[in-house]
Amino acid sequence: MSRAYALNDWYVVADAQTLARGPRLTRLLDQDVTVSGTPDAPNVVDDAGRAYPTQFKYGHVWTCLGDASRPLFAIPEADEPGRRLVPCGVVRVKCSPLRAVENFLDIAHFPFVHTGILGSEPHTEVAPYKAEIRDGVDEVWATKISFYQPQAAKSAQSGGDTDYQYRVAAPTSAVLYKTCPPKPEAMDVIAIFVQPRSETECDVWPWMALYDDTSDFAGLVQFQQEIFLQDRSILENQRPVKLPLDPKMEIPTRADLTSIAYRRWLKSKGAFYGALTEDA
Amino acid sequence: MLTRPVGLLRDLDPKRVMRAQVGGQDLVIWRARNGDISAWDNRCPHRGMALSHGFVRGNDLACLYHGWHYGSTGVCRYIPAHPELDPPATIKTTVFSVVSVDGVIWVNTEGAAKPAPVPIASQPLRSFHVDAQSEGLAQACLAVAFDGGAPEQLAHGLYQLGARQVLLLENPLDGERIQITALIDADAKPEDCAALSRWCDAVRRAAQIKMVAA
Repeated sequence: MSRAYALNDWYVVADAQTLARGPRLTRLLDQDVTVSGTPDAPNVVDDAGRAYPTQFKYGHVWTCLGDASRPLFAIPEADEPGRRLVPCGVVRVKCSPLRAVENFLDIAHFPFVHTGILGSEPHTEVAPYKAEIRDGVDEVWATKISFYQPQAAKSAQSGGDTDYQYRVAAPTSAVLYKTCPPKPEAMDVIAIFVQPRSETECDVWPWMALYDDTSDFAGLVQFQQEIFLQDRSILENQRPVKLPLDPKMEIPTRADLTSIAYRRWLKSKGAFYGALTEDA
Repeated sequence: MLTRPVGLLRDLDPKRVMRAQVGGQDLVIWRARNGDISAWDNRCPHRGMALSHGFVRGNDLACLYHGWHYGSTGVCRYIPAHPELDPPATIKTTVFSVVSVDGVIWVNTEGAAKPAPVPIASQPLRSFHVDAQSEGLAQACLAVAFDGGAPEQLAHGLYQLGARQVLLLENPLDGERIQITALIDADAKPEDCAALSRWCDAVRRAAQIKMVAA
């Protein structure tokens, strides 16, 4: 197990709703911690009483267990007027946190796993798109993606081609930008913040910043939860449980450019927590 | 590794998929529309998804995750994300030897499947799992009376129960769990099968109680 890189990243350990219910006993990178306080003053402590740095951003409490934390990435869209910020609760998944992120970056599974919502046969083709590791920002980006979706969002009235962009801002945090049905000039923002409980178990906290004035809050959350529960049926049945970084272990195709870039990026950084490496 | 029984053919209709295990190897066992039966490593070579969650399209098995199709040789035949692409032959599942004899599906993960001959003229009874070891199972078989009489063991796994004979074929899953494929003599009537199926349930409970007591 290598926590060395992972220790200095920030992770979600609660949302405002969880905090309001009282202290949350949870686990992060194999360490038990307790989250308490309020969004203005959240606390994270371990069993020995040691306190860790915290911040409240994007509807969630973030913490870092290391001594040399990297700054938490920015999601500028969170501050754009008119967007509804929607924390979507938490989904526990028995899988590697890295497999959860990789699945989030994948569009080719939509027709088979999110049938009738995010995809449908025979609209299965993934057109060429661009995936890259952006050195300046140290992030993985996938752009120029377009895919037919029967119901791209809660606010979508009918099927149509949806444009996508993906951004991996940290090994366990990813943001997607997709066509916003009621506001075609803008893009909806959906993120997953993955809390690695261990290398083989995680809590996934979806979060959205949408232009949608009509759907009720519960309906938006339910739509996103349904999607993630469908993903869970896949994620808990992949072998090996940890994400293999050796390209020989799992055979990709052109549609997997984002996944290929993501695995290469993890390998280059030594972000091995939740990964299977040749020398591990 | 011996050839192991993994279930009854009648429980796996064409176009159906099931999961099995032989000697620690996780398996997907499935039948094509044409009835052909295959036993593979339960893992899609693309992203490691369990193929036992997949579905049969024609004579191919498709992975649930991205719908990749695999033909009976295990070679990938179709990738829905790239409908025009002829997939390279290197994309291939790990294929094991499987045969169906006497209504039983047999798998060998290390060589050709060659089941030992079944010592009686038989018909399928049922398949079940028991949390016990082989010795505990045999003890339970002798301890559970059938129709007021004590069972008699004729050979390993073969029991005389009144006028009937039952053969329990064992597939040890790990130290403490066995998959049983049960056959009954060919002359048994449906009501005999129902009664002996209930006897199997009683044997399973008896074997598991002993396991707990031990």
